[in-house]
Amino acid sequence: MDKALRPYLIESEPYYRETGNEVALFEAAYFHGLPMMLKGPTGCGKTRFVEHMAWRLKLPLITMACNEDMTASDLVGRFLLDTHGTVWHDGPLTKAVRFGAMCYLDEIVEARQDTTVVIHPLTDERRLLPLDRCGELVKAHPDFRLVVSYNPGYQSAAKDMKPSTRQRFGAIAFDFPKASIEAEVVAHEGKVPFEMAAKLVAVAQQSRSLCGRGLDEGISTRMMIHAAHLVANKIDIHDACRLAMTAPITDDRELLEALDGFVEAQFGLELE
Amino acid sequence: MKADNSFPPSPLAKRLTVLQGIDKAAYTALQNFLPSIDESAKAEDQIALVDLLCQTFTEEPAGTLALIERLDGLVPEPVSVKELRRWALDGLQRHRTAHSKRLQYFETSDPLGFADPETKFDTDQVLAHRATLLHYLTGFGVTDLQIDLHAPQVGPTSPKRISVSNDFLLIPQRWSGFSANGLHERKLMYRAAVAHAAAHLLYSPQHLPAGNRHPMLLAMMGLIEDARVERLMAEKYPGLVTLWGRFHVATRESVGFDLEGLAARLAHALHDPKYDDKNDWVLLGKQMFEDAATNLHDTLEFEIIGRRLAVECTEMRLPFDANRYCVMPAYRDDNVLLWDFNAELSESAEDTKVLDHFELRKQKKEPLHPLPEVEINLQAKRLYPEWDYKLDTLHEDWATVILASGQRPKSKVRHFSKSHELHNSLRFNSLARIPDRSLRLKRLYEGDELDIDAAVESIVQRAGGLAPEPRIFMRHGRRRRSTAILLLMDLSESTKRFVPGSFISVLDIEKRAATLVADSLDASRDRVAVHGFSSNGRNEVHYVSIKDFDDTFGPEQKTKLKNQEGHLSTRIGAAFRHASVLLKEEISERKIILLLTDGEPSDVDVFEEDYLVEDARHAVASAKAVGIDSFCLTLDRNADSYVRRIFGSRNYLIADKAGSFADSTAQTLVKLIGK
Repeated sequence: MDKALRPYLIESEPYYRETGNEVALFEAAYFHGLPMMLKGPTGCGKTRFVEHMAWRLKLPLITMACNEDMTASDLVGRFLLDTHGTVWHDGPLTKAVRFGAMCYLDEIVEARQDTTVVIHPLTDERRLLPLDRCGELVKAHPDFRLVVSYNPGYQSAAKDMKPSTRQRFGAIAFDFPKASIEAEVVAHEGKVPFEMAAKLVAVAQQSRSLCGRGLDEGISTRMMIHAAHLVANKIDIHDACRLAMTAPITDDRELLEALDGFVEAQFGLELE
Repeated sequence: MKADNSFPPSPLAKRLTVLQGIDKAAYTALQNFLPSIDESAKAEDQIALVDLLCQTFTEEPAGTLALIERLDGLVPEPVSVKELRRWALDGLQRHRTAHSKRLQYFETSDPLGFADPETKFDTDQVLAHRATLLHYLTGFGVTDLQIDLHAPQVGPTSPKRISVSNDFLLIPQRWSGFSANGLHERKLMYRAAVAHAAAHLLYSPQHLPAGNRHPMLLAMMGLIEDARVERLMAEKYPGLVTLWGRFHVATRESVGFDLEGLAARLAHALHDPKYDDKNDWVLLGKQMFEDAATNLHDTLEFEIIGRRLAVECTEMRLPFDANRYCVMPAYRDDNVLLWDFNAELSESAEDTKVLDHFELRKQKKEPLHPLPEVEINLQAKRLYPEWDYKLDTLHEDWATVILASGQRPKSKVRHFSKSHELHNSLRFNSLARIPDRSLRLKRLYEGDELDIDAAVESIVQRAGGLAPEPRIFMRHGRRRRSTAILLLMDLSESTKRFVPGSFISVLDIEKRAATLVADSLDASRDRVAVHGFSSNGRNEVHYVSIKDFDDTFGPEQKTKLKNQEGHLSTRIGAAFRHASVLLKEEISERKIILLLTDGEPSDVDVFEEDYLVEDARHAVASAKAVGIDSFCLTLDRNADSYVRRIFGSRNYLIADKAGSFADSTAQTLVKLIGK
């Protein structure tokens, strides 16, 4: 492996609890060089899954969080100046292509559609990255893989992928796992007893039934883990749930009261 | 005292004249009634009473005559005219479809229930918390239940507890046996009640035939069932135990030894294992319940406990008054959900103690009444509330908006209309545009950031001895916000008349303005809908869609616009509420309702001068609260007095010349969109 990629290697195993056959599917896609698209609600474990797979496949992982300001140069690289004149600097995508790493574009729909078009020649059987600025044609390293993720929940007409981009990917749809598995994850990550985690999950599941009734998305696994951390640090459970789970997801007073009611339905009355 | 000389000629006399035009009988009855009004009654009260009688008369003439007779010259002492109004309007609304019940309401119902300030406070609190409680119910998987209030009643038979049915959760207007100390306690009570109701809906067998079972037996079986479903519910939601436990306060000292007291103590004992009660009956119930509790799903076992407890009560000769009995604690419902009081219990089932309710359920399937023949109305209807400024309340579901047939449901797919007649485009103020980071203006002489690629090139040029390129900055562009405009046209009878000083009717002017708006907006960015309305009383507000947001403004829409005719009256509030519901579904950054009208709101069933104006003002304010701006363009020269009240001081334009109306519309649009 090139030493430029060494810092991107993941050394210890990131915890990931498999909920179906997603690990086997991803490995099969990896074997065939198929770029992958992961979609699912926020905080359900997409990024953790990618980290886990990079570790499992012993690939360096280069992550880019996409945003509206991102340009194609930010991905592939640009000329910069040093004392001798202009020097070409590889962008993160070029680095991954040249030396063989897994490139992960998080929240890809946030980037402008014309930016993401640069990945097209990389994601069909050509596996090439043309750098027109410096007149170079980079052939992808055999280990190079592309993974993108997005949340289909809050897309608008303005933020979507072009069909031509979509059709280059294989996709795995993520969702919150079933209650017992989710509680296992919260207990492990939040370092709380399983019973406590199961109650947090029950609150989250009640909140998810309010989706589309004023709530865009229910309480995610990540939020529960935050709450569990607070509880493990001796914060009162009602305060922890309010801080990490109910208050962040909505500003609507009526919804907040109902969410506090769900916390109460698991953990009892709040001490006055 | 004579009506002619004792009352000031206006405004009371004015109202009476209006009524005379509507119905002679009512007019005569009122004429005879007025002199008997207590002389000490204030003039405002007299006017308010006449207003109320006029209002009810248009909807329920027979009932109003009955009411006039009942009033017998006096508003019953503890009830003010305002409370009488609340009572009367509640009756009109509650029995809006059943004429006989409505008449009966006016003949016999007691307005006293509306006079009690505590009841008023209780009901206001319930309504204020309704949205929260509906969300809370949804969390338990109960999604199709409405929360409402019990019909108002006074006296011993008035409902004191919540009733649950498959469609409604009815909360009593006055909740007896529960004194809420502060808002926090009240919220806990509501949640305890709703969670208990959810437990029944999730776990109780429903509508078992009650047959001729003794009410006491039903009460005991209900008590055991309450405890059973709460145990089941607590398995999934353990925190509810402490919530419910807060209201289990019955002890030997506090409630005593009558049947109601013992039942409350048993409920307490079943709820709280630490509560120690020495009474034999309570101990027996607790022992049997705990034995059966190994399998909480075996309902038969629990029925046996209920029966045994009832038998013991009979042997102790404890009196039971079915009318007075009130389930304790107060958060529990009256268990009407469990029983079907119309279905007969088969004799064999009555005898055997082992009841198989699966069999009993089969009986229920036979319809008790033949299904009424319902005429299917193809016109879609929507109900909207209306603001009553005299009572400071919103009457729920008061006005009915009827959508003109052929109006199809809105499709989910959003697409911009493809009209490209941009030659007519209006010029918008560029300052009003908002920054958009996805627009990048590169290679500028001045800007917010360095354009890094241009900067590198510039330095390379300098190093190479060339003149460096000075345009090395960039900034983000600005764009105009996307706008959705709903143009609401007044299609009332009065729009047929000519605009003063011309031979063009008001309606034609409105049509011209609509065409201008629909044609001139940039179709790639803005969305326009053209709708119209007219009304014939609160139950008939006609609403027609001429061009929807997803339609192009093509020949079909143009013909439709041309064919609109003026008729009926102008109930602005209801139409405005419907328009804001439609607009709320749009995802544009600005949403505007532009009302074109020729006069102040009026309708055939409303007499009070300010009622519709105030209602329209409320509708505009509610729309503003959800981010919808409103603007009114009117042709009424004297509109100042009311449009300012409805729309606020800056959101209207009076265009009193036919020729300038189109120009005014264009100006208004530029102003609105550029804002």
